Amino acid sequence: MRAKATRGKPILSARGIVNRFGAQQVHDHIDLDIADGEIIGIAGGSGSGKSVLLRTLAGLHRPNSGAVTIDGKPVDSLDAAQKASLFGVLFQQGALFSSLSVANNIMLPMREHTKLPADVQEHVAAMKLALVGMPADSGIKLPSELSGGMVKRAALARALALDPRILFLDEPTSDLDSLTASGIDSLIVQLNASLGLTVIIVSHDLTTLFSVCHRVAVLADRKITVDTLPALRRSEQPWIHEFLHGPRAEAALAARKM
Amino acid sequence: MTRASSQAASSDIAVTGDDDRLALEGVLDIRTLADAQRALRPRLERHPKRSLDIGNLRGLDTPGALFLCGLRERGVQLTGTLAEHQSLLDLVCGLDLKPLPKAASVPRWRELVIQLGKGADDAWHDMHDIITFVGRAANATGLALIKPHLLRPASISRQVSETGINALPIVGLMAVMISVVIGYQGVAQLRQYGGEEFTIDLVAVSMLREMGVLITAIMVAGRSGSAFTAEIGVMKARQEIDALEVMGLAPLHMLVVPRLIALVITLPLLTFFADVMGIIGGAMISQWLLHVAPLQYLDRVHHAVDTSDLFVGLVKAPVFAFFIATIGCMHGLRVKGSAENVGRETTRAVVKAIFLVIVLDALFSVFFERVGL
Repeated sequence: MRAKATRGKPILSARGIVNRFGAQQVHDHIDLDIADGEIIGIAGGSGSGKSVLLRTLAGLHRPNSGAVTIDGKPVDSLDAAQKASLFGVLFQQGALFSSLSVANNIMLPMREHTKLPADVQEHVAAMKLALVGMPADSGIKLPSELSGGMVKRAALARALALDPRILFLDEPTSDLDSLTASGIDSLIVQLNASLGLTVIIVSHDLTTLFSVCHRVAVLADRKITVDTLPALRRSEQPWIHEFLHGPRAEAALAARKM
Repeated sequence: MTRASSQAASSDIAVTGDDDRLALEGVLDIRTLADAQRALRPRLERHPKRSLDIGNLRGLDTPGALFLCGLRERGVQLTGTLAEHQSLLDLVCGLDLKPLPKAASVPRWRELVIQLGKGADDAWHDMHDIITFVGRAANATGLALIKPHLLRPASISRQVSETGINALPIVGLMAVMISVVIGYQGVAQLRQYGGEEFTIDLVAVSMLREMGVLITAIMVAGRSGSAFTAEIGVMKARQEIDALEVMGLAPLHMLVVPRLIALVITLPLLTFFADVMGIIGGAMISQWLLHVAPLQYLDRVHHAVDTSDLFVGLVKAPVFAFFIATIGCMHGLRVKGSAENVGRETTRAVVKAIFLVIVLDALFSVFFERVGL
């Protein structure tokens, strides 16, 4: 299932990112280049600032210093429509609009940013639901009527509503059963292969990191180390070594080889 | 990297070719889809079975692929598909697509009947809930008063400070404002009969008997009743209430009783404060409009009001406080599921609390009139 890394020119670059909360420094001059069409995982211990990094890359959080550029343009300079066509974000809790049905959640960005007639929008929304493996009749449900896995899928469908070029996934497989989680994993690979999506995954889930990502960025000790997994496994950095050689890592690795 | 180049170039779509062999050129994505549909429809209606060359498409996304799949199903032959578009077409065309179900539509008049029925049912259940909860809250409070080890003085004192001391500025300001309003109206109306000095009696009596306690109760319902609902509701949504129950701690004793006792203590005190501020407001208005000096004003107030006027106002306060706190806590505990319910319950709690305060005030007026106070 592991796709070959496609190394294009960087679509998203971060330079010298520093994030500080009060006296606590989370990121210390982080540089990161993400190639067009690549799946990159962001890993790190709890509180290492994975989600903050994701928010920074998506332009939702302004770093204390440093800059994020998309295709060479600073992320702050993008207007709303450009941002909408570039970014899709799957938030950790789904962040579905609770007052709208699932289908309307997906159609909201289409309604605001395109001139598609309503029936085509509905058709496209049905397609997105099928794409993420949801039955069509879940379209009229409200988010509160969905299970955790379905919320994740619906949120993914909404993140894909405008066919963005970069997909940010914040813990896409956390609190899902392993079957649903591997369904999401293969969906990510499929979307990457057929749409050429660039995917940035923040995850604790070693299986996801091992089986889906071309490269992994590990946040440890306020710094970032980006490499392919085999290279990272040779790293001397204590946290990375422990993270990738712990019992869970070995189990995930063994499962991949099976 | 077709998508990257398509983004850089202008995103346009064009239909070229003659009647039998049509070709799409440019970018077929969610932005150009409407144009492509408009351009293709008349040509395809004339000759439904024809070939469409898509070899010159620079970009394609899922809605575009969905459109092409739809054409293929209707018998249009797609030719010259690029390799990078083929996998996308395979993915999208391979999906098992069903139309979104429509929500069952109900005729207007039936909806009205359903709403009426639902409303009546809700009101009935609401009343039932209120009566039950008032009983349980009163029981728990009574128990806490008999067995002082159940009382939580720290919690009560924090609530007293939250609901009482922090409310002093706004309650005082409101009381002054209301007495100014009554004063202005009184002077304007009573001047016609040459009795404008009776304005002082009007302000003093109405502040002490009615307005002081009513304004305070409404302020407190909006300020503290809503806070009770929101605090307890968020705890409920985050399963903190369940956690309390598992630990063998009754939410009623932990959360409801301290708030209830605290509000029963603070509302009469706030009311007295509002009464004093109202009298001060009256002094200001007398000085401005009637040129009555503060000392003369006080003398006049002294003659106009009786201890019973103050008593009638103050005795209502604990009753209002009890109901405001109970309704606030009850709606907090009624939050189900997630946080979006908290807002709705808070609104309901405030509306219901203010409604009840005014109804009770009316009942009190009738009662006091009967007993001759």
